[in-house]
Amino acid sequence: MELFQYLPQTNCKKCGKLTCMAFSLELLKGNVNIEECTPLLDESKYQNKYSKLKELLKGEEGQKRELKIGIDIVKCDGCGICVTICPVNARYCYSILSGKVADYPPDKHQLFMVKEGKCELLSIENCRRLVTEGKERECRVCETYCPRVAIKIEYI
Amino acid sequence: MINKKFLIKKNTEFKKMSDQIKITCSGCSLLCDDIIIIKHEKDIEKILGTCLKGKEKFNQIISKNRILNPLIRKNNSLEKINWDIALDKAVQMINNSIKPVLYGLSNISCEAQLNAIKIARKINGFIDSNSTICQGQVLNFASKIGITTMTLTDIINKSDVIILWGVNVVESIPRLLSKILFSRGKFRITGREIKSLIIVDIYKTASFNVLGTRDLALIIKPDNDIELIRFLKKYCREEYKIPAGGNSGIDKQDLERLISILLNSEHISILTGQALIKPQGEGHPMKELLELIKILNKYKKIGRVSLMMVGGHYNMVGFEHIALAETGKNQSIQFRNGKSVQTEETIISKLQNQDFDLSIIVGTDPISHFPAAISKNLSSKPMILIDNKKSGTYLIADLILPTAITGIECEGLAFRLDHVPIKLKKIIDPPNNILSDAKLLENILMKLE
Repeated sequence: MELFQYLPQTNCKKCGKLTCMAFSLELLKGNVNIEECTPLLDESKYQNKYSKLKELLKGEEGQKRELKIGIDIVKCDGCGICVTICPVNARYCYSILSGKVADYPPDKHQLFMVKEGKCELLSIENCRRLVTEGKERECRVCETYCPRVAIKIEYI
Repeated sequence: MINKKFLIKKNTEFKKMSDQIKITCSGCSLLCDDIIIIKHEKDIEKILGTCLKGKEKFNQIISKNRILNPLIRKNNSLEKINWDIALDKAVQMINNSIKPVLYGLSNISCEAQLNAIKIARKINGFIDSNSTICQGQVLNFASKIGITTMTLTDIINKSDVIILWGVNVVESIPRLLSKILFSRGKFRITGREIKSLIIVDIYKTASFNVLGTRDLALIIKPDNDIELIRFLKKYCREEYKIPAGGNSGIDKQDLERLISILLNSEHISILTGQALIKPQGEGHPMKELLELIKILNKYKKIGRVSLMMVGGHYNMVGFEHIALAETGKNQSIQFRNGKSVQTEETIISKLQNQDFDLSIIVGTDPISHFPAAISKNLSSKPMILIDNKKSGTYLIADLILPTAITGIECEGLAFRLDHVPIKLKKIIDPPNNILSDAKLLENILMKLE
């Protein structure tokens, strides 16, 4: 979100993406360079923003980054909100829809599971941030609704 | 051909999962009935779906704090004794007393509660449960004013507004919000998007982290709940202008939003905790809240407003139902000549006036929970403790009788926080052939007769 603030936010489509938001997401993942956004370089009023963007990325642009969902096991108390709220979990496990515990052994699409009073990340392959149907998804429901602030989404 | 293949595949899967059991957790009053346990021969291998509170209940089986033998206090030290001697000693202590008191009874099954009431009737004693100083007061007001309740399934499927008034659900009952707020119900298919949450509290608790953009957080001044409820009552009854300075620490904008949500939404469920139980000034906030719900329900054309009490002990509601059916009174029952008589006294006034000569504590820890002056009075008289773990009361009791953990080592019936009875299962055998609460109390009753 911080990267999006320093872009022109005009949705001019000169970079080839539909919106400036989509461009900022690609920038975060390391799929594109800043120089592909031509208005940032050409127009003088964006000079401040361009220099700040360069500072934020520290010359690491263009390097591919991987998604990581970190769970702090000390803070977690196994309330199961992440299991219930995750749209991928609910799509494949019917019992999760009504807030119940999923069947065991878990479905191959399932992301989260509560085991021995703590939350466990099973696999990240089917996360909405990676598997999309033609559109970019800025999904952060598990991070925003965790009451213990134990889940963190970042790109490394 | 395809059908046969499918059948074979299903059968092998079933064989793999044959050691899976679905049980009901007895960690708190929510009684989650969807916990999965994977058993390996006679031991529990994996526990799936419990919160930390429920996991702690399973840890008690092999805990250091577990009591495994009957104990008696001689010269300020505890000695192991035989079961027969222990039961004889208990009966002897009860027979020697004139004014015995039974207290606790919220952490045992309904069958055990029934036996405890029978004992109190036999020995002409005074019996009281934890609900006297907790949610039992709400039911006392409800008997005069009336109460609207909803079951958990109703809240999941129908309610679109959930109000947490003076209760920190995230820390007291961790799985409640994931069941009622984040789940998708029959008429609320989109789940969290269509359900809104209002939190009323005096400071920012951990529950505030769950709030979204459409929700409302109200931080009010301490002991000002009653003023806010009176203001809402006044507004609903007649045309009334909202004061520019707001009310009880909440500004005008938030009050307008609160009123529009209360009047325009369909099913509202209010969850209350310990905050509204104590009297504020001259009035009682719980009484006013029940009256507000009555007025709102009269005004509403579609849907209703309901109240749910959030308690901690897993079978506190059960005692109210059992005692009401058995004696006609839900708490603080005094027996004389085998009949219940009318009294104004509670367990607190009994202990304050030292109006007892023997206390029987079942499944609770009053020494560490009551104020110092009252627990000093309690410790001055002889005491029998019936419990499965060590606590503050364990250090003072004269006779200690261990029991099995209900829901893991023995079965029983318990009432959920929305007054729904649920059967608890037995999974493993208790160590040292310890008896369940119900069986132990029955044995004492048989010996008394």
